[in-house]
Amino acid sequence: MDKPKREAILDLAKYVNERIRVKFTGGREVTGVLKGYDQLLNLVLDEVQENLQGLPEGQPTTRNLGLVVLRGPTITLLSPVDGYEEIANPFVAQE
Amino acid sequence: MDSLIPFTTSGSLVDCVDRKMLVVLRDGRKLQGVLRSYDQFANLVLEDTVERIYHQDVFAEVWRGLFLIRGENVVLLGEIDLDQEDEIPLRQVEWAVLEAYHKQDIADKKKREDIKSQVLYEQKGFCKEGGEGDGY
Amino acid sequence: MLPLSLLNAAQNKPMLVELKNGETFNGHLVNCDNFMNITLREVYQTSAEGDKFWKLRECYIRGSTIKYLRVPDTLLDAVKEEQNRAREAGRSARGAHVSGAGQRGRGAPQRGRGMVRGGGPARGGRGRGRGM
Repeated sequence: MDKPKREAILDLAKYVNERIRVKFTGGREVTGVLKGYDQLLNLVLDEVQENLQGLPEGQPTTRNLGLVVLRGPTITLLSPVDGYEEIANPFVAQE
Repeated sequence: MDSLIPFTTSGSLVDCVDRKMLVVLRDGRKLQGVLRSYDQFANLVLEDTVERIYHQDVFAEVWRGLFLIRGENVVLLGEIDLDQEDEIPLRQVEWAVLEAYHKQDIADKKKREDIKSQVLYEQKGFCKEGGEGDGY
Repeated sequence: MLPLSLLNAAQNKPMLVELKNGETFNGHLVNCDNFMNITLREVYQTSAEGDKFWKLRECYIRGSTIKYLRVPDTLLDAVKEEQNRAREAGRSARGAHVSGAGQRGRGAPQRGRGMVRGGGPARGGRGRGRGM
């Protein structure tokens, strides 16, 4: 029952040409349209927007980066932008 | 399988299995539970876990259940003496009562540490420490 | 039951994952590997400060960023039962063909501690543990 997972647990093919959100060690965060990938999770994203954090009020919160290669080893989180939304506290009822 | 891990490293945890243990994490959290399993990275499986918080001479605890803790986040793992664990000069109170005090303690400590590292950097010629964010 | 075996057995179960940076993710485990990389579905993300919340359809989390995972309390018992069943099946299958020498066969004997732990009444550790 302890089958070692040799192949990737994430099938990135389903995200090709879809906009995904990627977070990195250190806290940077971008969204972009997935164009390519390899088994090390290196990604090629197009129309990339970086979501800037910790800037003073009134500053722009995003910047455009265009076509970008993302290094797999620095990626900490990956999720599709579709179905992603900020919501009110969903746990209040349970507390 | 446990005995195949060299005694000098996480193999020394073999005697702790099925014992009630205290686990302190890098973020300062204190968990108590029964150690059910571990591996060569000292990843831990902790059952019937409760989390405890302390403030001055009172403490509170809350049920957390079954944990799988990634070993690198553990700073301390110690067996709890069941004969003596209740003989502590501390009073237990409701979690809801103590939580705000505990959070304040954490905030105060962080503030002190921030000031200290700022002084060390700006006046004492020390370099900046890496933040305890997600990079360690 | 090694920690990563437990994680493997938690597939399709709800869990809470806290990252080193304090962010938490509540979701159902879709898949995991031996690096502790995981994929979740129907995810609720909470900011480290606990003041912001997001809903995600699915997400992938790199294992090295994880602080801990909280899994259902019932999972350990379920896995033990499954292991016992597998062991019984293996024993009866071996028993039919092998005599004596089967003692040091694959699986059971070297996991002595595990067997004591795995057996039903041997959960004595739990009773001792809850000294309140």
